[in-house]
Amino acid sequence: MLLKLAWRNIIYRPFSSGLSIVLLASSIMIIVLALLTMQQLEDKFDENANKVDLVVGAKGSRLQLVLCNIFHIDNPTGNINLEDIDFLSKHPFVKSAVPISLGDNYKSYRIVGTQESFINNLYSSKLAVGKLFKKSQEVVLGANVAKTLKLKIGDSFYGSHGIEASLHQHENAKYKVVGILSPTGQIIDNLLLTSLQTIWDAHADSHQKGSFDLKKEIKHDHAHHHEKTTKEITALLINYSSPRAKFSIPGLVNKKKQLIGAEPAIEIQRLLDLIYPAVKVVSILAWFIFGLSFLSMLVTMINSLKDRKYEVAMMRVSGATSKIVIFSILLEGFLLSFIGSLIGLLMGHFLMSIMGVYLTNSYHYQFTGFIFNTLELWILLGAVLIGVIAAFSPAISSYKIDISRTLKNKI
Amino acid sequence: MILTKDLSVKYDNRIINFPDLDVKSGEHVLILGKSGSGKTSFLNVIGGLSRPYSGYVSINSKTISSLSKNQLDVFRGLNIGFVFQTPHFVKSLSIENNLLLNQFLVGKTNKNHLNRLLEKVGLLNRKDDLINNLSEGEKQRISIVRSLINQPNIILADEPTSALDDENCKIATDLLIELSKENNACLIIVTHDSRLKSKFNQYVELDVT
Repeated sequence: MLLKLAWRNIIYRPFSSGLSIVLLASSIMIIVLALLTMQQLEDKFDENANKVDLVVGAKGSRLQLVLCNIFHIDNPTGNINLEDIDFLSKHPFVKSAVPISLGDNYKSYRIVGTQESFINNLYSSKLAVGKLFKKSQEVVLGANVAKTLKLKIGDSFYGSHGIEASLHQHENAKYKVVGILSPTGQIIDNLLLTSLQTIWDAHADSHQKGSFDLKKEIKHDHAHHHEKTTKEITALLINYSSPRAKFSIPGLVNKKKQLIGAEPAIEIQRLLDLIYPAVKVVSILAWFIFGLSFLSMLVTMINSLKDRKYEVAMMRVSGATSKIVIFSILLEGFLLSFIGSLIGLLMGHFLMSIMGVYLTNSYHYQFTGFIFNTLELWILLGAVLIGVIAAFSPAISSYKIDISRTLKNKI
Repeated sequence: MILTKDLSVKYDNRIINFPDLDVKSGEHVLILGKSGSGKTSFLNVIGGLSRPYSGYVSINSKTISSLSKNQLDVFRGLNIGFVFQTPHFVKSLSIENNLLLNQFLVGKTNKNHLNRLLEKVGLLNRKDDLINNLSEGEKQRISIVRSLINQPNIILADEPTSALDDENCKIATDLLIELSKENNACLIIVTHDSRLKSKFNQYVELDVT
């Protein structure tokens, strides 16, 4: 009955109750959205950044090196000679060194030339069907690539030059799908993997045909100059065998003037530090709206109770103790904020899943609205508490109401 | 049933004394007084809505001034029905829900009684309406129903008819008398409305002293 009373009182004033609910819901929606995005970004970054201790590549930006070779979202910094990094693979502090070579894509999904250890050790990924690449031009697909592009074992396709989708195709570089990996929820799901030899073959080939623009041609020409003598890769992904390696290996790498080493964990922390202020601005905005919604709830409750002082007095006359009156008003505040926060949470997740589709398309990352953060429970709890607090002052003034005097004031 | 002794209230720095009352179970009493004679204060003290300056009220041989605030609220809900000049209801609730709320507040549910009363006042078919859809006369009839909803033994009515036209005045008075008889409740009406005089055998006049 009291619940019904509270509910009826809320919907009896649809505009002011609605305003409170909309304000509360939007602030919570923004908070949830920021929370979920940050959480997923951090999770993705952390989970992938911790796979590799050091990325070694050509001189350039460290962050770019990490973004390109670990997260596959930026351009390569250039190529490095296998010869120059030979010492790393043999170093006792190095547990594993996985070479990767970038340069081609298929429908904007990157084709990565590498070794089997990339799949087996680095990502501990399993084949769902087929086999790993052996010969040149054989390719293994990440789960998401196979699903999105609807490719299966035995299919073949032409890759495009560059790491973004382009019109130029390596017409001789016809890839053949030999295996598809099980989904891992990691970046490997969005990659096409092949042997280093495939990349070398494709680029030797395109170099001869010389069918793309001049600028690239020159760059390419330069990059391929040494090809006859030494082979090149884009980066080497290193894992240490000893914690001490952290203090010696990067130094060794950076001493070489054509190489640079970047530690993903540090670079990602730097990147996140850059993002946090932006998130903070969004959060401040959200808290501001949250404050507004509190005020609006307070005004709604005070006005509603002012409007209802005769009702309250009448309830007291009819045997309602002050406790029941207080409880019913607090219940109203609770209900109002509960509805608002629930809508906010749902909207936040709904919007996240819509944005997730967009983000997944542009970053080849899986973003979803279907994850929950324990912080959300606290947000819900906090918001509901705010609602009860907003109801508190009108509840107390109703408690103090002088029945006979109130009823004497005829309208 | 109701016994008052040496009652007085303090109002605007003056003390108003009231005559002693002794109302037996089922009796009907009209208290007439001009405005300013303190008749509302008198009724509020009898019903435990405010405390007297001196004297005491005893209902069913229980001195109500000795009850705590909460006990008094509960006691009032169970034993006394009120009718005021301007009837107030919970605007957001339907008529039926308003009446159910009143039953809920004293921990009762009796839909049969509720429907019977609504039928008596001829508003059973309006029970899903919101209060504000009713006319003043109809509202007053609903407030009479409400005063009887928990079968109290006392009905206290404060100017129940002064906002009504002659026709509605007659309807409301007849209903009050008839329904309190049916429920064997004693009825005390305070009013300045002399239209009511003819309906009552006994009345008390308040003078400003």
